[in-house]
Amino acid sequence: MAKRRLSDLRKAQMQAGYIFVLPSILLYAAFVLAPVIITIILSFTYYDISFGADWVGFENYVRFLTEPRSLEIFWNTLRFAFLAVSFNVAVGLILALALNRAMPKFLLYFFRLAFFLPVIISAAFVAVVWSYFYSVDFGVINYYLGQIGLPQVPWLSSSKVAMTSIVIMDVWKNTGFFMIILIAALQGVPRPIMDAASMDGASAWRRFSRITLPFISPVLFFCIVFASIGALQVFESIMILTGGGPGDSTRSLSIYLVDEAFGSFELGYAAAVSVIMMILVLIITIIQIIGSRRWVRE
Amino acid sequence: MQTRSMQTREAKKWVDRAIIAVLLLMGILMLMPFFWLFSMSFRPAPEAYKMPPSFFPPSFDLSNYRTVLESSVPFLKIYWNSLYVAVLVTIGQLVTCTLAAFAYARLRFPGRDSLFFVMLIGLMFPAQVTILPIYLGYAKLGLLNNPLGLVLMGLTSSFGVFMLRQFLRSQPKELEEAALMDGAGYFKIFWRISLPQLMPALGALAIITFTGAWNAYFQPRALITSQDSMTLPIAMDLLRGYMSQGNLSVVMAAMSMAILPVVLLFLVAQKMVIEGVTFSGIRA
Repeated sequence: MAKRRLSDLRKAQMQAGYIFVLPSILLYAAFVLAPVIITIILSFTYYDISFGADWVGFENYVRFLTEPRSLEIFWNTLRFAFLAVSFNVAVGLILALALNRAMPKFLLYFFRLAFFLPVIISAAFVAVVWSYFYSVDFGVINYYLGQIGLPQVPWLSSSKVAMTSIVIMDVWKNTGFFMIILIAALQGVPRPIMDAASMDGASAWRRFSRITLPFISPVLFFCIVFASIGALQVFESIMILTGGGPGDSTRSLSIYLVDEAFGSFELGYAAAVSVIMMILVLIITIIQIIGSRRWVRE
Repeated sequence: MQTRSMQTREAKKWVDRAIIAVLLLMGILMLMPFFWLFSMSFRPAPEAYKMPPSFFPPSFDLSNYRTVLESSVPFLKIYWNSLYVAVLVTIGQLVTCTLAAFAYARLRFPGRDSLFFVMLIGLMFPAQVTILPIYLGYAKLGLLNNPLGLVLMGLTSSFGVFMLRQFLRSQPKELEEAALMDGAGYFKIFWRISLPQLMPALGALAIITFTGAWNAYFQPRALITSQDSMTLPIAMDLLRGYMSQGNLSVVMAAMSMAILPVVLLFLVAQKMVIEGVTFSGIRA
């Protein structure tokens, strides 16, 4: 009797389990798993919307790796990622160190508001404002530069400056995210160790480099990985500020992908570009897994 | 000795104050774009390019807002599309992710761990890798240029399942076991015990999902081209067409309305928003 009840229970549990996971699994299969697999297959074809697919092997990848234009865009993306990640995390860390002290509650509320608001507002919205700030003749920034006697800067219209302008906006937008995460990490640094070190006369820099930095380094590592994955996919801020120009000087892989897919309808080639992006993200994720394993063991 | 330590303490206080002063200045700078866009939205169009720029509205003249609503861009329809997509996606994710999280955290069934693992892999795929087949599929099904398409593809997320499962596993199991002993079915246990336990996490997930859907740009940009089906982020390009006519104030009025829900959400539930967003790491 008891035995039968137990097996009934197991069966009921099994049924319930499948029913509960079914909606999410079906949707996930339809909108993530199947599309990823199809994209990979597509990347080996020449695809025409009305005539279908022709198998072309590695041709799309060869084209990507040999065309000067795609290589420039590839390096643009890496360069943007490198700059954006370095500054986002570095500025975030400086802000976190500055904010990690006793202060009245309303100030803390204000700082969280000021530094985090840009994080949660879409770049699609704020980039429009920035494009006006950056404009050469009517722009707010050039106006103030002129007031203090500095020359006008062609923020978005020069291929030498445009990438820097985009990085500046990106840091304005995203650094608050890393600030918040790093504040949490700093608050985990054990107080007694810090106090003991300052009693022994360790300088502020020594305390930072010998105690704080090693203590928060796993979180710092997470920030870098996370920032890299986001930066490699950069899309809307560039789309709205420069559209990828002047020339290709600010074009990122995401923009290239959309241009090729929905502008030139080179769907097979666009699929290859997206697979290359996926591989980049995958490499970073693997580095993250290896890195965090190492820290856990230590 | 005592005076010396008092001196250093005094010096430290001044350093603290100086740092806070610098931070205040930076904080105000960070908010400048928002001040500016808000103030601009109340400014008569001819004054838009006046220098020096001012960051406070001269008066609360609503005529720019009226112009947005009466313009040839179907702004109200677009606003409605954004709400429709963000609300339905949020509800959908709360339902599908809660159900799945309950199963992964509390039930035993063959294949559970492998299914969960497959679901987790989804965290690794950037949106760029799924968009082309979705585009082709939607073209066949007639879901291009349809906000419903944006809803369907957002109804579940690996992240939501993962987050809720972790949360549920940190909750006590005793109540459920007791209920099971009393002969309650799994649906009843889910509804009466686990769902109430999950409430705080559901609030966070709702905020993250809503903001994420409200801000989304890449997918709508790929799947929608007709004005009547657009959501706000991609409609900004359309409104920017005004800028060439020098009617920047009108664009900023539209922008103020577009960011309002997220700003309000943030002002009211600052802590919850920050915790939710840092946990998920959405990059809008």
